[in-house]
Parts: sequence; C-alpha cells; structure tokens
Amino acid sequence: MNRKRALIADTFCLTKRRRCAADSVTGESQADIRSSLQYLVTLFSRKLFNDSLPPVVLKHQLYSLHNDKTSVDKQVNELRETGELLMFQLGFDSEAFALVFAEDYRAKVLQGEAGRGTLGTVEKFLTKLIPSCSDLSFNKEKMLKEFLFTDSEITQLVKSGVLTVRDAGSWWLSIPNSGKFIKYFIKGRKAVLGMVKKSKYSEILQTELEGRRTTSQVKFQMKYHIHDIIGAELVECIQTTSGTLLRYVDGNVN
Amino acid sequence: MLLFCLILINMTYPSMTFARVCSNIYFLNDLCRHALLPLQMFFAIERQSGLDDPVRLRRAESTRRVLSLELNHNRDVDRIHGNGINTLDIEVIDGRYMLSGGSDGVIVIYDLENNSKKPQYTCKAICTVGRSSRHVHKFSVETVQWYPHDTGMFVSSSFDKTMKVWDTETLKPAEEFQFDGNVYCHHMSPVARKHSLVAVGTKDPKVQLCDLKSGSRIHILQGHRGEILSVRWSPRYDHILATASTDSRVHIWDVRRASGSLFTLDQHNGDKSKTSSEAVNTAHNGRVNGLCFTADGLHLLTTGTDDRMRLWNSATGENTLVNYGKVVNESRKGLKFTVSRGCSPEFVFVPCGSSVAVYGLHSGELITMLRGHYNNVDCCEFHPDYQELYSGGKDCNILAWVPVLRQPDIEDEETNSKRGGTQAAINPAFEDAWSSDED
Repeated sequence: MNRKRALIADTFCLTKRRRCAADSVTGESQADIRSSLQYLVTLFSRKLFNDSLPPVVLKHQLYSLHNDKTSVDKQVNELRETGELLMFQLGFDSEAFALVFAEDYRAKVLQGEAGRGTLGTVEKFLTKLIPSCSDLSFNKEKMLKEFLFTDSEITQLVKSGVLTVRDAGSWWLSIPNSGKFIKYFIKGRKAVLGMVKKSKYSEILQTELEGRRTTSQVKFQMKYHIHDIIGAELVECIQTTSGTLLRYVDGNVN
Repeated sequence: MLLFCLILINMTYPSMTFARVCSNIYFLNDLCRHALLPLQMFFAIERQSGLDDPVRLRRAESTRRVLSLELNHNRDVDRIHGNGINTLDIEVIDGRYMLSGGSDGVIVIYDLENNSKKPQYTCKAICTVGRSSRHVHKFSVETVQWYPHDTGMFVSSSFDKTMKVWDTETLKPAEEFQFDGNVYCHHMSPVARKHSLVAVGTKDPKVQLCDLKSGSRIHILQGHRGEILSVRWSPRYDHILATASTDSRVHIWDVRRASGSLFTLDQHNGDKSKTSSEAVNTAHNGRVNGLCFTADGLHLLTTGTDDRMRLWNSATGENTLVNYGKVVNESRKGLKFTVSRGCSPEFVFVPCGSSVAVYGLHSGELITMLRGHYNNVDCCEFHPDYQELYSGGKDCNILAWVPVLRQPDIEDEETNSKRGGTQAAINPAFEDAWSSDED
C-alpha cells in the first residue's frame, strides 16, 4: 500500500520531480552500488578458504539491498564496462552470477600462481582481460585470433583454474579454487532455507534468524545467506511492526 | 473551482489584486500546493487555464484510478461456469460485452454496462453456449475472442481440436476448423482491414493461418520446434505476428513474406557468452507461455516457466533488460495477461498463483498484488475506458477490480448532510435536475 500511495503522489507531483531531476547524478547511484558491494564483501569469510579466494558477492544479493532491480543491473553493467568489476557464471544456477572486484581477483590469482610454470600465461591473460573484455565465456576462435593464445597456453589456463570447460571449444571465465566455495554455499543456503521452513508457519523474523545458532553446515555468515535468499526471492519479505518477516515460498526447487 | 482558489488567495494574500494573480499562474500552482488542496485539482487547474494538454489530465486520472484498484462489494459478475475460467475477452467497440470461456467447454456473454441507477450492480450473463447446446465444445475452451470490428461474431478454440466461428445472434457456429492437435490459442488481428486471418497455435510446431473469408487454411509458418502456446498479432501493423512455443523461442513473423520468421527474440541480445550453448538464442530458459503487446505495439512482453517476464522492443527484438524479479509461472498452457492503456507509467497485470500481480511496465517494480481469488487465476482483461480489471480463474469466479471512488469534496459533504443521507445513494449524474414540480 505504501508503494501505491507514493506512486500516486509521484504522478501528481511532476513539477517537483522536474526540479529534483538535476540533483540525481548517476555518479551518486554508482557510489551506492559500490558501497553495497563493499558492505557485502565484508560479510564474506576469507579465513574459510585460507585466503586463497577473492571475496565473492552474488549479484542477486544486491537486489535485497536496493529496490529497483533494473537500475542495479544497469549500474553493475557500468562497473563491468569500466573494468572495475568482473562477473562470473557459477555452475549451479543459470541466473546466479558472482561478482568480484577486479583488483582482488588479479591479486589472488597471481598469488595462487606464484612459483608455478603457468604464471606467465595467466598474467598475459589477465592483462588482456581486465580492462577491456567483459565476457563471461570465450570460444576457441576468440582465444586464438583475438587474444593470440596457442592451444598449449589454453590448456595451461584451464589447469590453473582461470578457465573452465563449457563445451567443446568454449570456456567459462572462472575463479580458481571456487569449487569449495560453491559447495559450501549451496549447503549453507539449503540449511538456512531449512531453518526458515521448519519454523512455525514457515516464517521467521529476520532479526531472530540472524541470532540463531548456525549448524555445522552453514560456513558463511548468516547475513550473507540472508541477503542471498532474499535477493533470489526464495523467501518472501513482509514488513511487520516487529521488523522484517521472512516467509518461505512454496514451489522452490531447493 | 477557480472562484474557490481566488477566495483562498484573498484570504492568505489580501494585498494581491485580481489582475496580478491571473497573470501569475505559476504562483497559483505553488499556492495550491501550500494550501494543501487535493493534488488532483492541480491538473484540473492547469487544464482549465490552458497550461497543459487535455491528455495529461486524462492520463494522470487514469493512472490514479489504476493505482487504486480494489475489490468492490457493489460490483459482481454472474457466476455461470461450473469449472475454471480459461479466457476472457472484452469487445473493443463499446467495451460493453465480455466473453468468457471455461474448462467445461461453456461460453458465456456478459453485459458489463450498469444501466440501473444504483451503484450495486451484477454483470448479467446475457446468453450462454451451455452443455445442452448441440454445438458446444466437447472439451475445455482455451481462447475466445470477439471479431475485432463488431460483436456479430466471435471465435473460440478448444482442446477438442476445433476452432469454431460463432454467430452471436443464433449462437450457432458459422464455420468450424479442424486441427490435428489440441488448439492452445488463436488470435485475430485487431487492426487488420485488408485480411481476416486467424493465427492458430496448436500442439503441432507449425503455426497455421486460417482465412475467415474463404474458410480455408491458407498459410503455414514453419520455424518452431515445439508446441505453440501463444500467438499475438501486433496492434500496430496488420502483418506482424508473434508466436511463443515450448522450445523456449519466440518468433516474429511478417505474414507477407514467403520465407521464415523475421527474427527470434534472444534474451542475451546476441551476447553468446552469457549462457550455456544449448540456451543460445532463446527468449526464456523454459517454456514461453505468455505474449502481450503494449497498446502502441512498440513493446512486447513475454512470460516463461523460468519465472521471468521480459520486455522486448518489438521492432528490433532487443531485450530491454527490465528486471521484474520472480514472476511465478507454473502454467502448462498459455498464460493470459494484459497491459493497461492510457496511463502514464503503464502497468502490467499478470496472474501469479491465486492473485494478480501489478508491475510498472518500464520500471519493473512490483506495485501491488490483487488478492481475492480462492484458487489459481488463469486470465485477466483490462477495460480501458473505465480502468477496471476482470480476472477469472479456477475458482469459477470472475472478479471485477474497480477503482476506488474519489472522496467527496468538503463542500459536497456539508451540503449532503444538510439535505439528508438518502441523497448520497444516487449518483449525481442520474439526479433529475430539470423536471419541474408542476408536472
């Protein structure tokens, strides 16, 4: 109901909006997304992976922090164009995308490669990738012609974990050592959803859920998972007088 | 009304002369805001003074009405169907008659106009093609549509593999088309003058075009690889057709061309890197089961079983990437949804489970959920002249969502209480203000 009233007011206060239009700068809204991303990065537990992974944030976690999904998508794309952010396709869901800051990614990958023979190839790939290319996957022609890699170099990249096989002749961009991350993430998500589902009436206050003791299945911080399930719309968010209520949505595949 | 404003001005700014006020209309606007007059008077004042186009007031008022849709205990629709309602159609000429088709094969025609002078009104069913009729469909009726140019004829298609063209007067089919598989949907072009083709989507991957003038099937459009769940003609051009199928693809066709489709809708806009290779060039990651053009025909909305709704530019096929979030869609057949007409931010009404979700068309935000049905909602139809929404579902009810009436002005309330409460029941438009007492 609040949204409806606000919309009616908006429709009729068009003159006010015209004056305010000059104020809303796109730079401000980009800073919004960046600050949300930095907040979500703090929720990521680095120690869990012995500091070998860069902090990973999922794109739909941003939807739980901002109302307008379309503008979030737009701003994320802008950050990707400038080369500040990298997006990855995680294997488990065609709609789940992981976001990593480019400097973090570069630092961690080179740190992981230090002392190995593949270091040179990986560095070359990263320099080609980070400022200019914002693709999620690469096929053979692109690798050979545009990036001028040889077959053996491509094999080295796959071995180092920067590329994952998609199908014959094409590869996804990926984060090295991310298998463990995906495993813990899926398990944790299932456990948190189970907690919501088992509650009375399949609903629980968000503050109560944050305070609950996590089982051994849940390796990440509770808030990280909560942003994930809200953003992916696996639970419904209802505003009540005692705070936000999360209600399990039936018909989930999980 | 202007007098009221002037009195207000005199009260607050007694030093202002009449001439100065009239010459400074912008001052008037600011004053209205500060004086906390109802916001709607704003637009009325601007319209009256010629500052604004008349269309703006109309659009603003339509938007306000759509935003205040709710169930009204004064408006009801006759309950005739014994089984779920699959499809609704309101005729375009008068907006007076509504067709509904049900899972029991029954087709009903309702009169939506309120000629009684009371606010309490039930939309009566004028006639039905019931189970006792000789020509009734044997299985569920999936789509009904009025003939776009008058109400003398309507077309219905059903799971009994036939499509019937009915004469409204006699309620007998004037024409019957037989198909090989279940007919999921059909559509006639609302703007066509030169042709009277009906596009039919069946279990067969070939889209069939039937001609009403000759009574034969004259054209087949090949290109899909799965059942056709939805077909729609463009409201802008009479030769553009969109079809959606279980193979996750949406094709846009120009029926004048002999070769294949014009283009397919690609959810990633050609960016092949985003998906796995099987999903390249698809509109959705699941079956595409709903299609709807916006009123101007410039955009196309599609819904799919991947719980997503997408908005496309209908001329280029580009995905506008408006993110509506999760639009729950579990329908195995076509989903019938609709877009508002004549409002300033347009709205999409999508049946989601047992409620109807209202989204802003270009912003993608969920505005509200209209809850009222007891079971799944299958279809909804928007009445553009009165900004009303009719929805039908498995609970055999057709619900009418009516905009909330505006609160009476302060002056009217006072005069009403003086005259007595009975006057409030009659709409002032029907009040007899001209007969003299001497007769």
